[in-house]
Amino acid sequence: MVKLYDVAKVVRTKNAGPFKLTIDIFFKDVESYMKAKNKLSRELIAKLYSISEDLIEGIYFVDNVLGIKITIIKEIPSDDVRTSDVYAAQQHGPLIYLDI
Amino acid sequence: MNEVRVYDVTTQIGYGFPSQSLEVALRWEPHVLVAQGTSTDAGPYYLGAGTSYTEVEGVKRDLKLIIKAAKECGIPFICSVGGAGADVHVEQVFNIINMITKELGLKLRLAFISGEIDKEWLKKKLLSGSKARRLVDIRRLSEHLTVRDVDESVRIVAQMGPEPIIKALDLYFKGLIDGIITGRSLDVGIVAAYPLKFGFPKNLVYHMSKILECGALAAEPGSSSDGIFGILNKDYFLVRPPNPRRRCTVTSVAAHSFYERDNPYMERLPEGYLDVTTANYVQYDERTVMVSGSRFVPQPYTIKLEGVRLIGFRTISIAGSRDPIFIGKINQILEEVVEVVKDRMKHIPEDEYVINFRVYGINGVMGVYEPLKNPQPHEVGIIIDVVARTQEIANSICALVRATLLHHGFEGRKTTAGNIAFPFSPSDFPVGPVYEFNIWHTLELEDPVEPFKMRVMEFPR
Repeated sequence: MVKLYDVAKVVRTKNAGPFKLTIDIFFKDVESYMKAKNKLSRELIAKLYSISEDLIEGIYFVDNVLGIKITIIKEIPSDDVRTSDVYAAQQHGPLIYLDI
Repeated sequence: MNEVRVYDVTTQIGYGFPSQSLEVALRWEPHVLVAQGTSTDAGPYYLGAGTSYTEVEGVKRDLKLIIKAAKECGIPFICSVGGAGADVHVEQVFNIINMITKELGLKLRLAFISGEIDKEWLKKKLLSGSKARRLVDIRRLSEHLTVRDVDESVRIVAQMGPEPIIKALDLYFKGLIDGIITGRSLDVGIVAAYPLKFGFPKNLVYHMSKILECGALAAEPGSSSDGIFGILNKDYFLVRPPNPRRRCTVTSVAAHSFYERDNPYMERLPEGYLDVTTANYVQYDERTVMVSGSRFVPQPYTIKLEGVRLIGFRTISIAGSRDPIFIGKINQILEEVVEVVKDRMKHIPEDEYVINFRVYGINGVMGVYEPLKNPQPHEVGIIIDVVARTQEIANSICALVRATLLHHGFEGRKTTAGNIAFPFSPSDFPVGPVYEFNIWHTLELEDPVEPFKMRVMEFPR
């Protein structure tokens, strides 16, 4: 077992508009990418972010760049008075501890 | 015209770029210089308040280099400006352009295309049956835009497509203007306008524009404050950074389709969408990538509308705690404090204010998404955040929350002289008006140019 955060080259989050959070993960090697691809299901993402599965708009695996994109409809949009991250640039916490 | 060369100078006018990059790019003989300066990334405040998230000196420096280079090379520039991109924002940039032309001692004629949407025009459109559907299905946004939404909005802008810019380019080729300044516009559109005018294939034009619009972010190492060069013919296009410290690789270019988009395969455009699933990326030389094979799919024409409404006024206070008993019970303590405040402030209706706490060390950064449920930090930072109907109410509630939290006698308390540390005096900060997007819709449009007013301006004024 390795940690996704340790083997990934890029783990970044950002707004895709104020109402969506998008998570990009890029890998250096095919093996780590494939491990992550097999592991990252809608069910797991929902559990990691404590959200219901229907808030996950899409999970995309782009093999030719070893990249994974996960897009989530935000419960608290970036323009909501309760937001804690206007740009959504620091929302990768649950992925730091994930074993793949 | 067999080939068109576009230089995208930077990702955001005002964030800077190396002038050496521009010098190298000019040697590659671009037909047009483009740069974007509008965005909603920084949140709804700037559209509502009419202020810019960039500073005068940064914008002046970038625009001066662009305008000077375009004039000297005899090529047009196309820049979107003003941050949120309404007329009030662009007016601030006109003052900057005025200074620039005076300093350079040159005469400048430009076509200005407003990105602001006239409310009466929009209401008329809606009343005559035009549909504007929300872009994201969330409850706060009306499913279809209503006249009331328009009335409630402080101001409204739209991301213009390339069409109004293509029309303005006619004036350039008639020798009537030197360049084009737009308010809010689609970033891809300002790059695409010139090659579209000359009839290059839409799939290639839009795909190249999508890659160029974020400047050197599509290169390695990526940068949001440097430029990227595109060379387009009828069969493919090439992208290459002028800065010798960077290169475009197949991965850096292909992976760029992820950036700030919800779907890495699809790019929504006013006249359809771009599908890059079938795109081919080839390493053309060490620093250049060749791209072809994406698909453009036409759809009914729409523009994206953006509008904000005022929801209140904010006051915050910043504090911290170093006490393990306090930190161990913090959620309970904060709930008790809110109860006390609500009770003391009974004369103010509860729906006129909202109290939020951001507790750094516990879940201040991620809020509801935070995966660690029982952290034991040695200290925590607390932001008391109050948004209320008026600034006076926000100030009063924040002051009372702050004072109550400082002296609250929670069970087991040993720090009886005060629960929290304030780094500042005064401890409370009125932040001003707070806005939220109430318009985030796409409007169907028969004429892509209709809502965007254009006028020719001469500088210095």
